[in-house]
Amino acid sequence: MKKILALSMLALAGLAVAQPKVFKGVEAGKAGGNYRISAISDPRTFNPFVARETSSTNVIALFLPTLTGYDPYGLKPEGLLAQSWELRNNGLSVIFKLRQGAKWSDGQTIDADDVIFSATAHADPKVNSNSRSSFVIDGQPVKWTKVDQYTVRADFPKPYAPALIQGWYIAPEHIFGEAYKAGKIAELWTLETPVNRIVSGGPFMLESYAKGERVVLKRNPNYWGVDDKNNAVAYLERYTFITVPDLNASLAKFLAGETDAYNASNADQVAQILERVRSGGLKGEVFPNADVTTGTEFIVFNWNNKDPNKAKLFRSVKFRRAMAHLVDKKSMIEVALGGLGQPMWSPISIPVKQFFTDDVIKYEFSPQKAAALLAELGFRKKNAQGFLVDASGKVLEFNFVTNQGNNTREKIAQIFAEDAKKAGVKVNYRPVDFNELVRQLTQPAADGTRDFDAILIGLTGSIEPAFSRNTWQLNGSLHAWNLGVGGQAPKQVESFEVLIDKLMTQGATTLDPAKRREIYVQFQKVVAENLPFIYTVAPAYNPARNARLGGLFPKAQLNSIVGQFPYIETVFTKE
Amino acid sequence: MWNYIARRFLQLIPTFVGATILAFVIIQIAPGDAITRFELDPTVEREQIERLRQQFGLDQPVPVQYAKWLSGVLFHGYLGISLDYRSDVWSVIRQPILNSMVLVVLSTLLIFAVAIPIGVYSAVRKYSLGDRTLTFLAFFGLAVPNFFFGLIMLYFAIWVNDNVGRPILPIGGMTSQEIGGVPYLEAPWWQRTLDVLWHSILPVIVLSTSGMAGLVRIMRGQMLEVLSQDFVRTARAKGVAERMVIYKHALRNAVIPIVAGIGGLLPGLIAGAGLVEVVMAWPGITPAFLQAVSAIDIYVIMGLITISTFLLIIGNLISDLLLAWVDPRIRYN
Repeated sequence: MKKILALSMLALAGLAVAQPKVFKGVEAGKAGGNYRISAISDPRTFNPFVARETSSTNVIALFLPTLTGYDPYGLKPEGLLAQSWELRNNGLSVIFKLRQGAKWSDGQTIDADDVIFSATAHADPKVNSNSRSSFVIDGQPVKWTKVDQYTVRADFPKPYAPALIQGWYIAPEHIFGEAYKAGKIAELWTLETPVNRIVSGGPFMLESYAKGERVVLKRNPNYWGVDDKNNAVAYLERYTFITVPDLNASLAKFLAGETDAYNASNADQVAQILERVRSGGLKGEVFPNADVTTGTEFIVFNWNNKDPNKAKLFRSVKFRRAMAHLVDKKSMIEVALGGLGQPMWSPISIPVKQFFTDDVIKYEFSPQKAAALLAELGFRKKNAQGFLVDASGKVLEFNFVTNQGNNTREKIAQIFAEDAKKAGVKVNYRPVDFNELVRQLTQPAADGTRDFDAILIGLTGSIEPAFSRNTWQLNGSLHAWNLGVGGQAPKQVESFEVLIDKLMTQGATTLDPAKRREIYVQFQKVVAENLPFIYTVAPAYNPARNARLGGLFPKAQLNSIVGQFPYIETVFTKE
Repeated sequence: MWNYIARRFLQLIPTFVGATILAFVIIQIAPGDAITRFELDPTVEREQIERLRQQFGLDQPVPVQYAKWLSGVLFHGYLGISLDYRSDVWSVIRQPILNSMVLVVLSTLLIFAVAIPIGVYSAVRKYSLGDRTLTFLAFFGLAVPNFFFGLIMLYFAIWVNDNVGRPILPIGGMTSQEIGGVPYLEAPWWQRTLDVLWHSILPVIVLSTSGMAGLVRIMRGQMLEVLSQDFVRTARAKGVAERMVIYKHALRNAVIPIVAGIGGLLPGLIAGAGLVEVVMAWPGITPAFLQAVSAIDIYVIMGLITISTFLLIIGNLISDLLLAWVDPRIRYN
């Protein structure tokens, strides 16, 4: 009833959206056109409470709003559906003001009820949404309450630095509310649901879905955004995901001009695109080495080894520094990445400018230094096969695995294994199945031991270091070098681990940006010095685009976090 | 005869249970499950992972999981839930199976239409230049892997389109987003059919070249054997025209094993066209199956195995019956 009242009042006032969001584009655009992009697989669902993988959330993000996000020009928190916010109680409470007049594509108002409902459902353990971790901080819940129709309030159990990043999808209560009460929320908005019944509160709305082929979204005329000249956005009439499971075929589509943007993942692909642009077959551009990708790749040693001698060795920082001296990052970039990449020394991804520092200790490639450190550990002599042995004649050896099928990772692992062998360390390298690797890494036996020696693995990076606390806090489930049992801290911890744990907690609870940076700079220094993970190399970000697109960043502004354009709302086609 | 069919259906039960148990166990032996790939995401809490396992019953013992699945299949015809899509398995695999059938049916027809005449020609003009050329080409098609040939065809299509300046050949996919400015789904049915056929040209060529070689050789061998038999010599001696000898007497006998093999094509209908579907972005069952395997989407894998086991058994039965029908010497009693 309230919604109807509000609606009629708005109609009387003759306002489409009272407080539209202004999306500042790169250049003035025009309406119309179709943006086509290839996706490696279909979405699994259109339901924001069920979605887990990017193939689904990439689509959902186009038709469901979030309260806030990162401003693409400065990576600071930016209001989306939330028009503004106020901090109270030293940052323990945040009051979000919603945009008045924002509507769902079916004409209903988007208001506090939708936000509170979505927060409740995402936080519900029975729903088990992928966004649930945004609603629990160290085991304590974040409380969301409605203040009035356009105001919501979030109360945090402790000061929380990323409190202003609320990137979970807001779903319409008038559609999901009943189903949620009946415990059937997962049955809505599946791939079987007719797309015209799926309501949008974002720049686009679903138009058609052909299984295994494409998802087409069209412009949402009811959207609450405008450009800086008060024209309605999105400019684009359509947004199309074309499903192409094969990576070579996906490149072929881009080369043929059938998709508009592409990320070249290696030097070979960059060369193919350059060749085609030069020959005039494709009007477009590719920007090799425009930035570095945010993923991290590292070697981790198992401190909970079944073999107590190995566990002791891996716990020795001298040993890990010796191993770091055997990581030839230059060759890895040349051979494994075709020259397109950067060395990494510490956990925060290079593009995350507000926290990244290059001023850390670097254990650069040096077999001599490695030999000296290993000699200090007692490995002074070599046996007949050329491997280092200790005083009792025991060979310095360990098993080393990475996941099968990731060509870049396999090459990096081989380069390390070869260099280590030359230095007299017997590294038994073998690729294994990904799931087996995850099991070895994450599932300790009852006595707390795990059965691997060393693993080369990667984790997806994010802008916000606080979101990676599972990796760095002592009781984290991905505290991969020294893992505790059953969510507890490991039995035997080194002092630097306690320091990292403390820094992570401080980083997550400090609100002042300058102080936060200081904390994370120290965090990077501690990790680089003690090497719980020995970082390898990060592949370059090599975006390519078709010249028919407008509203994209010029080369200097391209970065791997935001991508090729600030907002999809202000991308347009030139033809 | 009916007795025989009934007996074959009874045999279906142990075969079916055995095959599905084997498949279920093999999937379980592989490390990890459908939830494992979420474990390396730093933003996902351990309890969320455990709750997902509970939701899908993955925390229960393997025999219990199998028994639940089997009772669903036998008593309700329910193939289970896809752990990846969170919906009914049948709804996940129905459309890919139909899409694959387009390729499989078209390429099978093309193979038969081309391979049988070539086989006959090669037998009649044994060791001629034509025989050798065709045999060489057939083996060439067999030797080039499908996925590779598919990629070559994609680049070939780009090359043709570049040179003509218009999209003469599609670059993968099964349908166009728009036909003559109208969204695909709103176009009339015949335009949609033509669009699918146009997209199927390249994958069907790839599939046919690889499937043809075997059939050409079988046909050639059969014809050679029949042509050397006494009744053919008798027919020729009686002065029957050579055309009649070859097509009426020899071919009809030579084609018997091929007709008998038609039943064996039935499971192939849903098995999909293989990696060419992945390369050509054809939304068939192979990409869906590979995705299910890499996600360890156990019930989708089991669903496909169930249907193809069933069709394999039915297909063998049809083959046996067809054999009795075309060859009067065979009777089932």
